[in-house]
Amino acid sequence: MNEAVLHAEVVVLGGGPGGYSAAFRAADLGKQVVLIERFPVLGGVCLNVGCIPSKALLHAAQIIHEADEFAEHGVTFDKPTINIDKIRAWKESITKSLNTGLAGLVKQRKVTLIQGLGKFTSANTVDVETAEGVKTIRFDQAIIAAGSRPTKIPVFPHDDPRLWDSTDALQLTEIPKKLLIVGGGIIGLEMATVYHAMGSEISIVELMDQIIPGCDKDLVTPLARRIKKQYKNIWLETRVTSIEARQEGLKVSLEGKNSPESELFDAVLVAVGRKPNGLMIGAELAGINVNEQGFILVDKQQRTNVNHIFAIGDIVGNPMLAHKAVHEGKVAAEVTAGHKAQFDALTIPSVAYTDPEIAWMGLTENQAKQEGIEYDKASFPWAASGRSLCLGRKEGLTKILCEKETGKLLGAGIVGTNAGELISEAVLALEMGADAEDISLTIHPHPTLAETFGFAAEMITGTITDLYIKK
Amino acid sequence: MTNLLEIRVPDVGNVAEIDVVEVLIQPGDIVALEQTVATLETDKASMDLPSSVSGTIQQVHIKPGDKVSEGTLIATVLVNEGGMSIPEPISTVAIVVETPAIQQEAKPAEVSAQSEPTPKQASETLQPSDSKAIKAHASPSVRLFARELGVNVSKINMGSGRKGRILKDDVKNFVKQALTDGITTKGAGIPSIPAVDFSPFGDTEILKLSKIKRLTGQNLTRVWLNLPLVTYHEEADITEMEAFRNTLNGEKEKGEIKITGLMFIIKALVAAMQQFPNFNASLSADGESLILKKYFNIGIAVDTPNGLVVPVLRNVNNKNISELAIELAEKSEKARLGKLLPNDMQGGCMTISSLGGIGGTAFTPIVNAPEVAILGVTRAKIQPVWNGKEFLPRLMLPLDLTYDHRVIDGAEGARFMATVKQNLSDIRRLLL
Repeated sequence: MNEAVLHAEVVVLGGGPGGYSAAFRAADLGKQVVLIERFPVLGGVCLNVGCIPSKALLHAAQIIHEADEFAEHGVTFDKPTINIDKIRAWKESITKSLNTGLAGLVKQRKVTLIQGLGKFTSANTVDVETAEGVKTIRFDQAIIAAGSRPTKIPVFPHDDPRLWDSTDALQLTEIPKKLLIVGGGIIGLEMATVYHAMGSEISIVELMDQIIPGCDKDLVTPLARRIKKQYKNIWLETRVTSIEARQEGLKVSLEGKNSPESELFDAVLVAVGRKPNGLMIGAELAGINVNEQGFILVDKQQRTNVNHIFAIGDIVGNPMLAHKAVHEGKVAAEVTAGHKAQFDALTIPSVAYTDPEIAWMGLTENQAKQEGIEYDKASFPWAASGRSLCLGRKEGLTKILCEKETGKLLGAGIVGTNAGELISEAVLALEMGADAEDISLTIHPHPTLAETFGFAAEMITGTITDLYIKK
Repeated sequence: MTNLLEIRVPDVGNVAEIDVVEVLIQPGDIVALEQTVATLETDKASMDLPSSVSGTIQQVHIKPGDKVSEGTLIATVLVNEGGMSIPEPISTVAIVVETPAIQQEAKPAEVSAQSEPTPKQASETLQPSDSKAIKAHASPSVRLFARELGVNVSKINMGSGRKGRILKDDVKNFVKQALTDGITTKGAGIPSIPAVDFSPFGDTEILKLSKIKRLTGQNLTRVWLNLPLVTYHEEADITEMEAFRNTLNGEKEKGEIKITGLMFIIKALVAAMQQFPNFNASLSADGESLILKKYFNIGIAVDTPNGLVVPVLRNVNNKNISELAIELAEKSEKARLGKLLPNDMQGGCMTISSLGGIGGTAFTPIVNAPEVAILGVTRAKIQPVWNGKEFLPRLMLPLDLTYDHRVIDGAEGARFMATVKQNLSDIRRLLL
């Protein structure tokens, strides 16, 4: 039996970006909030084993590549010496500084933070296994932000330290000579970029017929071309049938049109997606509907079938992105405070921080074709962008899709340096209902990569002068 | 084996008191599952209450006029073997909403924020989150504002911003409109005209009203419901005026615009308005003061193929009859072509509705609020007029003045019309 019973007006289960945003917003709206996090630090996957550490490593990779590639333009460096301990320490210092920042925000807002694994025991109680024993929290309202975990493939030897998931890969404990990445999605390709720069020989295996499945092909092509030269193998339409742990390495058996039957690797990173944690939190004891995959079903106010319990982030559905979770977390917090908030963002932008970066938002061409939506398309090649050429790159592309009749922006995709930063303008344009004319009449500073978005709009309105388009 | 079960009022949303309008069962009746047993009514909706069981009514616990709420016992039912009670009566309650549709649509966010979703509803609306784009041309902050007011932005057809963007003001106006509609159709207690099925009487055809006609209709209904109207009839002797007018027109070159009688009527009316400032006025919205106008703009009702429009002639007091004739000819032509701009139809002080070209002896025009009066004109005809010694044939013009009785008294109206009449009978007075 446990004696410690705590009361919370709002309990938030999970301290990732969605969870802490929900907790902070609810506290700011006057709620007495208890935040439960199973790890000793806040920030969840994103801050500790996801977005942030991967971006630190990607920056290191970018420096290595840029220094190397500039040799042909007249600046030659010695071959870099890579001290992975130092890189790791730098990466960890970034995470730590943000962890500390969050801990400070918790204190300033007087949010009660409880460390331990929390599970529902009824529709109004959560038990948390803390270091000091089980604590029971009685709550009026709850927000579930318990996230997701990397998908594991049951037949693989997961106990072998050479078989990695994304968390292991981000630890940067060693640079394997031969690294196989299973899964050609965003996570796999970002880690490929990092380890390639550090000196690994990279092979990628992907089940579908293109890397980043689902993304428009023209956006993926520049990246595919570049990594084809950099990486040893990119096996598409190929499946891994087994991985066998041997003394000399991991023996991976493959089945695909161009792949060998098997090959030996020093390490294998499995990045085949993430699974929601909906089945691990005692949801059934609270009466919450969870589907077979582990997703919790919610309405537009993030409310579950149990009226006073909300869920946000990875655990309620794809795309599993921190910026989606944060937005949903704020909606849920506002609804607990009686606001009429609702998740009605028109789009959730996606970014692959590869080299080149790929970013897209709104309608994709794939989707438009599938759903039979008519559109006007313009695609501005960065080979005509002075700024891009000055960066020594010319493979980029800025594409926009507009409504045929009105020119209203429907979607945009960018591939090239800093695409992830550039896409925000398109998201704002979409939310504000801008059309190609609005965008083309907006002055974009010159010379920038951002002006390619304006150029693409000018291609729609027929006012572009930086290209000659035959009528 | 038999069993005694109860029919109770199901969860009907957050309504404290529901009136029982009709009870359709009595002890001994056999009811089937979902058969209507009573009709209930709240201020928003009436609903048929279905039986949650099938069996024989043992006892009825309510009567018409009772107030009930969720859980109130309606009846006890003797259920035969095999009779099943259904666990979710809410799902079978057929709610007939009587409030205007617009009001219902205006409250989706409130409903989802406050009502307790039943598990059945939940399973239909809950889903793993995704981003479904909405069509409305409104920025995120306006969408938030709309949600707070309980407005479904996609119901706002056209915003007033650039390219139809919906602005916060459009949301406010939408709410205002919804409230006004609620008042005129429901709040004032005016019953609506029930729909009639005409098919038993013969063939029919549906003809959509033009936009002008629909808007005019709304406006006229609003005036009819809000203004206490009085119509006063008068006749003016225009024999001399017509003689003068014919002389004038006789002097005109071919192709020049002819002077119509209406020009003199406009002038005579404005001269009277200058003398009676209450006629050149509007009542303030709170009804506590009169806004007197220092300008004299006259609206002229024009019949067009699309409906009635009222172009406004501005500063009539500063224009001569020829100028007015030209201006009216231009505006009437624009009106018939549907090319009048909103600006052409704004700022009127009083309106003239002339049917003289068609006929008539008298009618009762409706004031074009916020103006306070309207002058109706029908066809002039020669009548015998007694001059004290004999009957003389005189050309008499019938005039009808409808006024807002909150602003104009009966005697004042009569004096005003006496002045208009004098001005027309002896147009030399217009020089004074």
